[in-house]
Amino acid sequence: MTHQGWAVEVITTAGMLVGPAHATEAPAAYPGYLERAQSKTLGEVTVSAAALSTEEGAAVYGVPLAEKLIQPVWVTVENRDDVPYWLMFPGLDPNFFPPSEAAEGMATGAGGPTLKELDGRFRELAFKNPVPPGATVSGFVLTNLSEGVKLLQVDLFADRRSHSFSFLAVVPGLKTDYEKSEVFRDKLLADPLLTDYTDDAAFQAALEALPCCVTNKDGSKNGDPLNLVVIGGVDDAFPALIRRGWTPTEVTWKGSVMRMMSSALSRERYPYAPISDLYLFGRPQDIALQKARDNIHQRNHLRLWRSTMSYHGQPVWVGQISRDIGSRMTIHSPTLTTHKIDPDVDEAARALTEDLVYSQGLRAIGLVDGVGAAPKDAPRENLTTDPYFTEGLRYVLVFDSEPTSLTEIEILPWRLPGGGFVEQAAGETTP
Amino acid sequence: MSGLLQRAGSAIRLAYVAGAMLLLGACATWQAPTDTSDAPLRARAITQQKGSVQVSAAVLGAQDSLRLFGTDVTAAGVQPVWIEVDNRSDHILWLLRTGTDPDYFSPLEVAWSAHVTFGGNTNERIDEQFSALAFPNPIPASGTASGIVFTNPQPVTKLVNVDLLGNRAMVPFTLLLPVPGDIAAGTAVIHRYSDAEIASYDDPDALRKAIEALPCCAASDEGAGGGGPINVVLIGALDDVAAAANRRGYRRAVEPPGTPQQLFGRPADFFVRKTAQAGAPAVWLRIWRAPINYLGEPVLVAQAGRPVGGRFSAGSADESRLNPDVDEVRNLVIQDFMYSGGLEQLAFASGVGAVPADQPRVMADGGGYYTDGRRAALFLVTRPLAFSDVELLDWEPVLPEKQADAGKE
Repeated sequence: MTHQGWAVEVITTAGMLVGPAHATEAPAAYPGYLERAQSKTLGEVTVSAAALSTEEGAAVYGVPLAEKLIQPVWVTVENRDDVPYWLMFPGLDPNFFPPSEAAEGMATGAGGPTLKELDGRFRELAFKNPVPPGATVSGFVLTNLSEGVKLLQVDLFADRRSHSFSFLAVVPGLKTDYEKSEVFRDKLLADPLLTDYTDDAAFQAALEALPCCVTNKDGSKNGDPLNLVVIGGVDDAFPALIRRGWTPTEVTWKGSVMRMMSSALSRERYPYAPISDLYLFGRPQDIALQKARDNIHQRNHLRLWRSTMSYHGQPVWVGQISRDIGSRMTIHSPTLTTHKIDPDVDEAARALTEDLVYSQGLRAIGLVDGVGAAPKDAPRENLTTDPYFTEGLRYVLVFDSEPTSLTEIEILPWRLPGGGFVEQAAGETTP
Repeated sequence: MSGLLQRAGSAIRLAYVAGAMLLLGACATWQAPTDTSDAPLRARAITQQKGSVQVSAAVLGAQDSLRLFGTDVTAAGVQPVWIEVDNRSDHILWLLRTGTDPDYFSPLEVAWSAHVTFGGNTNERIDEQFSALAFPNPIPASGTASGIVFTNPQPVTKLVNVDLLGNRAMVPFTLLLPVPGDIAAGTAVIHRYSDAEIASYDDPDALRKAIEALPCCAASDEGAGGGGPINVVLIGALDDVAAAANRRGYRRAVEPPGTPQQLFGRPADFFVRKTAQAGAPAVWLRIWRAPINYLGEPVLVAQAGRPVGGRFSAGSADESRLNPDVDEVRNLVIQDFMYSGGLEQLAFASGVGAVPADQPRVMADGGGYYTDGRRAALFLVTRPLAFSDVELLDWEPVLPEKQADAGKE
């Protein structure tokens, strides 16, 4: 794929903050997000999208949306096709906010705008379906807040056809984070020197030869097992994760740590908590994702590193996933809080696999060795001294950019474990 | 319960119970269960067969939990479900627990909530107990597997999806399971009509006419004044409708928000509410079986709405009032079903009658709503489909979403 339209101009938001806008003037008056917007064309449809910063959201909507953890995403769809298209909001965020609901959430009374005013303004700003043939429609979709980097998944539906567009957007926030996020994104999109594998046996051998586990910064101590391999990228694997509620998180910084501490104390839902760095290939994770369950005590974490391998041309990411079952204080993490993980780390990898079966993006599932078994009665420890046990397998997930139905998912006949996924049955028949 | 807590749902209760146990310094009083036979569960299990695969399932109550786990996990907001898969096919199958509950709990997560302070070896034994009884994937070819999946609670008859994945194959089951302690136990979930009462159609145009001829709205219980609009029609086998809804986080709810409403001379057959631990849109549906069949499958009609305030005021007094923009919720329901894997066709029909925003239709309870007057008809099937497969039927033309004039004076 090409990454045209990804060039980003660094815009500081400070100069744009000149008070609440009238909704209709918003795009002209606040061009920051428009200049950051990325575009892609598939067939006869062109989509542009950008995520708004906290300040931009407040300026466009005239109320501090971020205080209610709401973030607007701007989407334009230019439809040169001969059928109407619908933008599917749950693709951008399965828990998106309908404009009327967000207006109700922001109407505090107390001298602020009335519900009626907000309701009218929010609807006017909202993206309106469908996009008629030959027309261009622009508007905002209200999503759950993420800072730093946000994956934008634009699923368009028409009669018996669809287009899916994926963008990795950088959201301006604290300036240092913004710069870090930009570097981070560039790294994600850069094409490393790849070894492409088309032979399954050689590919399995290469996956099995990867290190068992993440390490600490100087590589002197092993941590959580590398129990996941994700094959695909911004156009296929990430959209599938987004559709199932996974969002990128940034690495630790002070403000976020403070918020996590207070979140851990107040038990509030807080969708955006930092996770600490773990190392592979001599560097921290390239991307960390999380799936919030209800509060900081229950969120699943996924870290991915881009390898120098590709499989049939698709990038290969190596990852680690664990299920949080609580948070606790520890002296083994520089942030002083860490998550108590489910010691059955295979459960977390299986759960992710099962969840992504429903993403309409998973094409194949396979298993390889490489982690090394750690039985229940002789568990290993991660870097924060949580014990874990494992069968020693890696879950390999292959993604496709075309929507895939549940009955098309292939189980690769790789590892044939006792407790593993599936073995190829002789004489395939549908049960 | 505050809105946040309500949204957070059972997991937060789990955390609270765990916390409370720690605070109370619960002593190492856990006793290993002595009788972990599944015979009582098997005795009341509901069984379904599809081809060479048979699935049985039963919901555990507090007593079952105490007997099997030595602790009552239902008090911590977890509803264990016992599932047995008898696989006589030559495929290895995999039970997809996220299909049963997108927010299910892992066995050791539930075990952790039952841990005792300074438990040491006791906590290890608790973990072992939960691991041993958990559902073991995969199910071997020509083999049987049984065990517990830990789900979020449903207080009334539980719709349980059991999606079994094989290589390029899926065998989905939907079971209606009684829930121990169900206050509505014994009542039929869906109203039953006699054959003579049901109008059967094989032709889509005839079906459309029948759908458009249905009443615009429910009636209030008192019979005076209207209820909410009937704006969603679900066509397909009940299993398929339930499976699609369940995959998108719609779960049965005990009672509807707002005032009771009637259609076909009776209250709604059941209610569902969209729920998710990470805060799902606050959508609910009142659902009635209509006296209509299409191609041999039942037609359900529904009133889709959401309470004023949505997620931001869950549990408050506002919650009983209908948000007036009912089309917004209808469209959200359509989009959810797009991702359910069960939607084959989509159509818009008339029948509700257009109501402009500046002259909302007032309901008996004082609330009101406005609408473009369209009813969404969703045709659901078993065969898992991607959203690129969905066919848009040429019924009523699609209307662009209006700029609301609610904000204009």
